[in-house]
Formats: sequence, structure tokens, C-alpha cells
Amino acid sequence: MDITFMLEILPQFLSVLPITLLIIVVSTICGFLLSVLVVAIRIKKVRLLNPIMGMYISFTRSTPILLQLFLIYYGLPVVLALMGIHINDMNPTTASIITLIIYNGAYMSEVVRPAYLAVERGQHEAADSLGFSPFKKLYRIIIPQVAPIALPGLGNAIIYLIHDTSLIFAIGVVDIMGLANIIISSNYGMNQIEIYLLIAIIYWIVSMLSEQMIKYLERRKQRLPYNGSTKEVA
Amino acid sequence: MFQLDVLIEDFFSILKVVPQTLLLAVIILILSLFMGGCLALIQRKKIPILFTIITVVQSFLRGTPNVVLLYLGYYSLPFIVQYIVSLMGIDFNPHQLDPVITVIVVFSISFSVFQSETIRGSLHSVERGQIEAAQSLGYGFFHTLWKVIIPQALVEALPDIMNSFLVIIKALSLAYLISVVDIFGQAKLLGAYNFSYIEAFVAAAFVYWILCSIFTLFINKFELRLRKGY
Repeated sequence: MDITFMLEILPQFLSVLPITLLIIVVSTICGFLLSVLVVAIRIKKVRLLNPIMGMYISFTRSTPILLQLFLIYYGLPVVLALMGIHINDMNPTTASIITLIIYNGAYMSEVVRPAYLAVERGQHEAADSLGFSPFKKLYRIIIPQVAPIALPGLGNAIIYLIHDTSLIFAIGVVDIMGLANIIISSNYGMNQIEIYLLIAIIYWIVSMLSEQMIKYLERRKQRLPYNGSTKEVA
Repeated sequence: MFQLDVLIEDFFSILKVVPQTLLLAVIILILSLFMGGCLALIQRKKIPILFTIITVVQSFLRGTPNVVLLYLGYYSLPFIVQYIVSLMGIDFNPHQLDPVITVIVVFSISFSVFQSETIRGSLHSVERGQIEAAQSLGYGFFHTLWKVIIPQALVEALPDIMNSFLVIIKALSLAYLISVVDIFGQAKLLGAYNFSYIEAFVAAAFVYWILCSIFTLFINKFELRLRKGY
């Protein structure tokens, strides 16, 4: 074990950390928006789209994310070429962001949908009978009740997403893992244990920080009682 | 650009590695269940020093991705094994260690954390009165565990265990990184063999999809039957 070597290469890893964080943030936000869209389609039972969404969720949940990465990376240019858009060179970073958005859209929709369904039918009816507009009903009545139920699940989804970003090096993105490969090959295959231990610790810290953030959000949501806000409106 | 005959050919040659992937997954499942059970017991009994160590290890395993753990195990496990074996006075070449063993060890350890959560939850579902009844009948600790707690907890935990089986099958796709061939690894090999990556990956996706659909169907049916039992 060579602790000084670990400290020596730490700055290099910290310099590529923003790429990983960017991918995490973009795919969390876009994935969440996609999941809301999917949930809306499945709850409203939009004809034709509803079975497609069912297929989409079952597919993304039953194939490994690594396979999906490769499918998007190699397959998307071919599909786009069929539609008349020609991409000569697929950027691996773009491919991995697209994959993670698609994967998370499905995963988070399975968190958000039960949370939405957990809100009692009576709440909808009460809001309707008080003359709330659909948007106001969603914003004032439904979302404050859905959020506390969905938050722990969404937190888990974000932790899994952080773990899944460690796979994107497989299609050639130079993130933490990609850099590790570069360093190992330039070191003639020495010090692998130290390098991967360092990466493990970096991921550990990132996961713990995001876990704390989610816990903080959960506590805040608990302090904000939804009955209070509905009373105020009524 | 997309050849259907290659897809079909790939599909059948990927099917050939399904049994060995399933076998690997079953071994990992059983080992991780066993270790998870031990972890859950230690946490339940709150054994002083072990409890603290396990809490830290659990947080570490939960916070690090499987790939990183796999690489870490791939590079460090041979030397750990060499050290342990040398204590017993046997010579061992660290480069002889089969990567399959690394995969089994690493995944069993990393999944044991998740299994321990499942097991803890199912242990909670066994009523206190059942244990007290067993104790009042003069059952010892292991006798209570084996005859009273495990049969009841197992029924509660089975759907989750089946689910984690699917997670393990999917996680095994990482094994190709350390040259263990599973469904995904086979697809990668086939793709490189005849330069048709897309067909190979689509075929692998179908294999995974069918496999998971069958298991999900099985789980749902089983769960329904269990619920009826109550």
C-alpha cells in the first residue's frame, strides 16, 4: 500500500469529477422530467402510448445498464440514419447521458406512479368540488402529498444513478474510471489496488453527501405539513 | 445494415451461456444470503465491536459501485489469498486465481449488504410471541432460529430474494471486464467476431428480457399463492 501515491493522483481524479457530476445532475433532472411524462401517459391511459410505455419500462428494467449503454452507443446512429439524420461520430458522453436519462425515466416512473396512486381518490374529488383548476389541484393538493411518499425512492434512484455512472467508461468516456485505466496503462500496470481504492473512497464520499442532501430534503418536507397549506387555500 | 440472420444466429449462441450465467447467479445468491443472514443476526444482537465494523463496511459497500469493487477485488484478492495460504505453509501463485472466483467473492460480499436489509425486514415480521412461545417450550437459540424463525421469515422474504436474483443476473454483465463470459460477455465476443455489434447486443437484450419476464411471471404467481396462504 502506497498512501503517498494515492495522494499524488488525487488531484487528477478531482479534476475529472466535474464530468461525472455533470452527467449525474443532467440525467437526474431530465430523467425525472421524463418519468413524470411517462407517469402522466400511464395514468391518463393515453391510447397507443400506454402499452409502449409498459414495454419501455419492462425493457429498461430487465436489461443491464451496460448493455443499454452499448445499444445506444452503437445503435442510435443506425436508427437515426434510417430517419435520415446522419451522425458519423457518436460522442460517448452524449450517448451515456441519453442512456442514463432513458434508464432513469423508467426507474423513477416506477417510484412516482405508486406515490401518485397512493393519494386518495377523495382528495381529487374534494379539490374538484371546491372548484380547483386542474393545474391548481395538482400544484396545491396532489404534489404536496406525493412528494413525501416519493422522496425516499427518488433518493435511492439517485444513489443507483451515481453507481451507474461508473460504467460509462466502458464506451470510452474519460471520467474517474476512464482516467484510472489511463493511469494504470501509463504506470505499466502498477498500483492498481491503490487507484481503485481511491476511486472507491471518492464514490463513497459522493454517495454519502447525496444521501445526506436527500435526508435534509425529506426532513424539510416533513416540517411542511400539507394540511396547513390546503387550509390556507380553502 | 441490420442483418436479421446474424441476430438469430447470435441469439442461439448467447442462449448457450445462459445456464452458466444462471449457475453463477445462484451461487452468488446463496452465498450472499448466508452472509447477509450473519450480518442481520449481528445487527439484531448488537454484538459490540462487530456491530460498529459492520456499520462502516455496510456504508462503504453501499456507497461504492460494483465495478469499482470488482476491479478492487480483481487486483487485490489474489494477494490476499496468497497471504492466507502462505500462513498455512502452502505455495500459491497469485496469478493462478480464476477470475470466476473473484466475481463470486466480490458479488457475494457486495450483495450480502442488500440481503441483510431484506432479511432484517423479514425477521421483524416474525411476531415476538412466536419466539417467546418457542423459548417457553425450551427451544435453544439455534433450534428456535431453524424451526420457528427461518420458516416464517423466509416466506416473507422470498419475493425480495427473487428480485435480488434478477439484480444479480444483471450485475453479472460486469464480469466481462475481468474476462468472465456471461450473457453480455458472449454478446461482446460475438460482436467482435463478425463485426456486427448491434445485432449481438440486440440479441443479448432479448435474452435478458425473456429471462427476466419469465422470472417476474414466476415471482408474481408465487407471491399470489403466498398471500392466499394467510
